[in-house]
Amino acid sequence: MTGTVFDLKEFAVHDGPGPRVTVFLKGCPLRCRWCHNPEGLSPEPELLWKKNLCTGCGLCRTGCRHEDCRGLGRCWHKCPRGALSLSGRVWEAEALAEKLRGYAPMLAAMGGGVTLSGGEPTMQWRFAAELLDRLAPMHRAVETCGYCSEEAFRAILDRADYVLMDLKLADPAQHREYTGADNAPILRNLELLRASGRPCLLRTPLIPGITDTPENLRGIAALAEELPVELLEYNKFAPAKYGMLGRDYPLPDLPAPNPPDLSLFRHATLSRL
Amino acid sequence: MVSELRDYILSKKYYALRRPSGIDFAGEYAAKKLPPRERVADRFARICALETPLIMPGERIVLVRTITDPNAIFIKEEGKERIDLPCIYTKEEWLEVKRQHFIHEAGYLSNVIPDFAQILSRGLLDYKKDADEYACRMIDALIGLTDRYAGEARRQGRDDIAETLARVPRYPARSFREALQFLRIINFAAWLEGNYHITMGRFDLYCRPYLDADLKSGRLTEDEALDLLCDFFLSFNKDTDLYYSIYRGDNGQSFTLGGVDREGKPVFNTLSRLCLKASRMLKVIDPKINIRVDKNTPIGVYELGSELTAVGLGFPQYTNDDVVIPGFMDKGYSLSDARDYAIAACWEIVVPVLSADIINVGALSFAKVVDRAFHEALPSAKTFDEFYAAVDRAIRDECGVITGRMKNVWFIPSPLYGLFFPVEDISKGGKYNNFGIHGSGISTAADSLAAIKKYVFEEKSVSPADYLAMVDADFAGHGEFLAKLRYDTPKMGCDDDFVDSLAVRLMDSFADALEGRRNCRGGVFRAGTGSAMYYLWHAEEIGASPDGRRKGEGLGTNYSPSLYARTPGPFSVVKSFTKPHLKRTINGGPLTLEFHSSMFAAEDGIQKLALLVKSFVELGGHQIQLNTVDAATLRDAQKNPEKYPQLIVRIWGWSAYFVELDKRYQDHVIARSEYTL
Repeated sequence: MTGTVFDLKEFAVHDGPGPRVTVFLKGCPLRCRWCHNPEGLSPEPELLWKKNLCTGCGLCRTGCRHEDCRGLGRCWHKCPRGALSLSGRVWEAEALAEKLRGYAPMLAAMGGGVTLSGGEPTMQWRFAAELLDRLAPMHRAVETCGYCSEEAFRAILDRADYVLMDLKLADPAQHREYTGADNAPILRNLELLRASGRPCLLRTPLIPGITDTPENLRGIAALAEELPVELLEYNKFAPAKYGMLGRDYPLPDLPAPNPPDLSLFRHATLSRL
Repeated sequence: MVSELRDYILSKKYYALRRPSGIDFAGEYAAKKLPPRERVADRFARICALETPLIMPGERIVLVRTITDPNAIFIKEEGKERIDLPCIYTKEEWLEVKRQHFIHEAGYLSNVIPDFAQILSRGLLDYKKDADEYACRMIDALIGLTDRYAGEARRQGRDDIAETLARVPRYPARSFREALQFLRIINFAAWLEGNYHITMGRFDLYCRPYLDADLKSGRLTEDEALDLLCDFFLSFNKDTDLYYSIYRGDNGQSFTLGGVDREGKPVFNTLSRLCLKASRMLKVIDPKINIRVDKNTPIGVYELGSELTAVGLGFPQYTNDDVVIPGFMDKGYSLSDARDYAIAACWEIVVPVLSADIINVGALSFAKVVDRAFHEALPSAKTFDEFYAAVDRAIRDECGVITGRMKNVWFIPSPLYGLFFPVEDISKGGKYNNFGIHGSGISTAADSLAAIKKYVFEEKSVSPADYLAMVDADFAGHGEFLAKLRYDTPKMGCDDDFVDSLAVRLMDSFADALEGRRNCRGGVFRAGTGSAMYYLWHAEEIGASPDGRRKGEGLGTNYSPSLYARTPGPFSVVKSFTKPHLKRTINGGPLTLEFHSSMFAAEDGIQKLALLVKSFVELGGHQIQLNTVDAATLRDAQKNPEKYPQLIVRIWGWSAYFVELDKRYQDHVIARSEYTL
């Protein structure tokens, strides 16, 4: 079967054990206001326009017959300055697996593997599951927001050697307000993850005034219990990609960050990415 | 103590104490028609006598230049390069010398590594037995100067310095400190004699016995040794602005650590570790660190190296014994000699003591040979192989020109430095007299061939005549084809065999073209993958190229992807660049990978980088250099984006090409990188 992938990153060093190749699957069920990968939100391919490279020559508007330009209103192949690119490419699972297996000897030697990230990989869980099956015996990690059906989560969990899961907000009302969705499915899936005994890392982005409050961190710590947590410092780059998609960043002004109290957690680290 | 000295040296306050010699050496020598050895010895002795002893705050390893000649334009008449050392020839005389001989670069001895082990164990007085009258005068002058330093040290109550100088350079070093002071004196003397690109060779091999003895006897703790080593490392930064080079730092003062000894046993030891630590602590550009590695090198060595990379100095550079040693043996070096190799200057590989190799006699422009075949042979070629045969011929022709250029080569003699080699006159040759030739623009050439193969011979979508016309018009009016060439055609660095196999072929052609040729000193020629400054000059020689590189755009430096190739990342780059038969191109020239310093913000970033380097070595890569991008580079990139099309910065969960970011984000990255570093 096919899936839509918007990026493939070699030598990812923040996505699981060892150096990794990370596959970004397109489409996400959440709408976190601080999202830093807006091109991962929609499941459809989208045009990225790097405005500062564009000279306005108009070549991209002269029409073309490329399959992957259909409906975009522009030909992204034609830009001589490389200002246009397509975010989102449709892959056959086996074709993508074959490409990724090409990294296997190098990744095995380095103790790394492949990570499926997004967007949200469980949005395309059947594709993700097939891909994971086809990647065995490589080390396989999945980075998920946890917002998906039990069936989808179990399908991924069964096939992953390592799980990175986001826990953003403990309070259901706040979770609804800032991500547009209820956190009940996430909390249910967290228990599935815990019960599975799969090696994992829970991640909380520290969004000033929203997720980095002592109340929220206490809530996260209570949910995590014995599971390891990584707190990710927020930085101001999140909005950078919105301009390329012609959208506005939904979270403009933030207060100063609260230094997180790691002692609230049983196992927590703080990362500046 | 060391930080005080570091601040003092970086403040350059002592530059104020420098003064000119006030002597017209060249005029005097020309009037008397003095022979070259006499001139070199006389200048050396008189400058030594004029030097003023200067002991810097907290310093233990002394000696610094105070006599300069700010008006001396170096003898290379093009006048770009300078050296603050008075000339020994008048301009007219020098032109005459050049009429009679081939003069390589500055004309002095360079890139040769003396027998440091023997120097330390003999002391200079013992060398007087072997020395001619000129070398004897130079030894006496040098000892005279160090005696005056000893006197000044006593006057300042620094008996420790005076006692060290009472021993070295006259007699053999007995301690780690004496060894370091002795080496500083030799380094000072080497430059003052006129030699340049003075590399320190296998320091952790020849200096180790002195450290071990001191540690064992308890005379030094490891911390005290590190402190001394820092002092010694700083000494390489005292006079660098006076040295022969185009850019400060390009002076070849490099250390080679690790590797195996002549019997094949691993060398990496406590001293190697202390060197990496000293370099990391000091964060100064000299000395540059090279690490020799092989498939058995433990990951811990790469991790120590990566910790240094994280500092952002652009070194260490790694060189792979598993490629160099067999490659050297194919070029006629014995196993034992090949095992003893070290890095001269930037990346070029030589055997200490025995090599009189001239490692940079010229450079093949891969882009130019493809350009020539493209214009001359493409219209008539019926198949790609027929076209490639023309490329191969162009490589042979070009190599013929480069190798034929150097005849009757002559160097200004080095009476003092020459004592430290086991031959009559190292400037006239040594056990090995091989010449190295750089190769620039490999990726531009391979990418061009891939485009030609694909569009002219396979798809037949472009006719040779149209292709030529578009390239010659710098793609004006052909934006669509230009976009296709630049962003939608196989590029070296993407692990794509279609193009990588062409790079393999080009590099084989280069090695083949040099096979069997002999140089004017009886040695052979070694192909290399370095570019030095040639990547700039070679880019100017040609117009646009068939890969979509526009006129005026640069070539990649050394052994690297073309500037606008969108590679998927370091794994693919490493895989592409380890495909060629690198044993055949062992003159040196590193693959360069660039990382933003934020890579090291993750706790295990260092370990992961170490694993990447190790896998490059295991895949058969020959040499690799890793850069951490710092704020200064980023600021320059912001002003001159065309120079940095591939600069990648990590932005929270994703990465971006720096130059594609809006200014305000660039400002953030700059601010952050300053914070990170």
